[in-house]
Amino acid sequence: MNFSFRNKRISGVLTVVPANERSFLEDMKNFNAPEARSLKLMEVMGYDKRRVVSEGVCISDLAVFGLQNLFSRSLLKPEDIDALILISQTPDYLVPPTTSVIQGRLGLKQDMLCLDINQACAGFVIGLIQSFMFLEQESIRKVVLLSGDVLSRKVSPKDRTIYPLVGDAIAITVVERDSGESSIEATVKMDGSRGNALSIPAGGMRLPCSPQTAVLEDVGDNNLRAKDHLFMDGSAIFNFVQTEVPPLINALCSRTGRDIYSGDYFLCHQPNRFMLQKLADKMKIPHAKMPNNVVERFGNSGGATIPMALTINVADHLKAGSARACLAGFGAGLTWAAMLLTLGPLSFCELIDYP
Amino acid sequence: MTDFLKKLAEILEVPEVKSSDELKAFPQWDSLAVLSVIAMLDANYGVNLRAADFATVQSAGNLWNLVESKKRS
Repeated sequence: MNFSFRNKRISGVLTVVPANERSFLEDMKNFNAPEARSLKLMEVMGYDKRRVVSEGVCISDLAVFGLQNLFSRSLLKPEDIDALILISQTPDYLVPPTTSVIQGRLGLKQDMLCLDINQACAGFVIGLIQSFMFLEQESIRKVVLLSGDVLSRKVSPKDRTIYPLVGDAIAITVVERDSGESSIEATVKMDGSRGNALSIPAGGMRLPCSPQTAVLEDVGDNNLRAKDHLFMDGSAIFNFVQTEVPPLINALCSRTGRDIYSGDYFLCHQPNRFMLQKLADKMKIPHAKMPNNVVERFGNSGGATIPMALTINVADHLKAGSARACLAGFGAGLTWAAMLLTLGPLSFCELIDYP
Repeated sequence: MTDFLKKLAEILEVPEVKSSDELKAFPQWDSLAVLSVIAMLDANYGVNLRAADFATVQSAGNLWNLVESKKRS
């Protein structure tokens, strides 16, 4: 499905990560695998450090902290927020929505729209599309798009297919109208029939949490995981990305008459360094144009990883000027989405620690 | 097939892999090796195997036959 927008822009990005850092070398002690194989996993996949929340910390805590930071520095006025969107799969509660919780905690105005969207890997692109749609309404001049997860609370320490790559974070992206003429083009595809490749089996209405769903099960290759934990079929996701993402981006470029190689950056969702290097090689894109360093420094935090890739790699460029970017997200759903837009200059673009 | 066997040997961190060698017998044959092989097959032969496909494969030669059959289809 294709989308076109005009006169919209991202004006600032703030990413918030927990100060608490874990290392792969620590995590490795819990794995049932020979040390040499774990070290090989670290080298091949590109794992090292990640940030995780302390017990009980929720996504609204990270969001409120970040928004208060922006308010205190006069980078954002509370009364200017006309729409608040949260892209997350780890809400504070099933009811009420987490955006309502945040709105309540910050005392934001009643005349606004709050919307939770259950999305992750492709979620930042989906969230931008939703933000741009809202801005087509006269009543909505400024949208705050929050994206991120606290998935570290939902992974098994004895599952080396997922534990070492998950990180927690939230990104706060301010989206507003733009007087310039630049156009934004996007495309989204969905395939729920393959959705079980990335799932948390228990905790919803289909299979509520119980003592049984918390039991660690042997899932092969000496990994242990419970139904309460996040499951990812690594090879299925790898094949999905390699077969679906290049054609999606190529089709977007040819529909809009853009040369795929003329853009400045490919800011992709960050599953891990290995997958991004293979994707870049498949598309014949130099690794320098497709940053892949988020997971080795902070872990994979779902919908926050595209803004994080932007913040930690191209902040200086985007604060001083602009760049042509292709954003691409792929994963939970399954969903895959791409967007071509000009980024910058940004009023703010930085990463802060949640203590 | 020679090139394929050389690439397999690199992934399995052994000097040589013969077509008759049983994959599961290699000490480095685990889910990381399987993912590395899947990536190698995608990059070099344009074939996308799933981890489940490896259950039916015994030897390196079997794997090569599977790859060839997927290339044709």
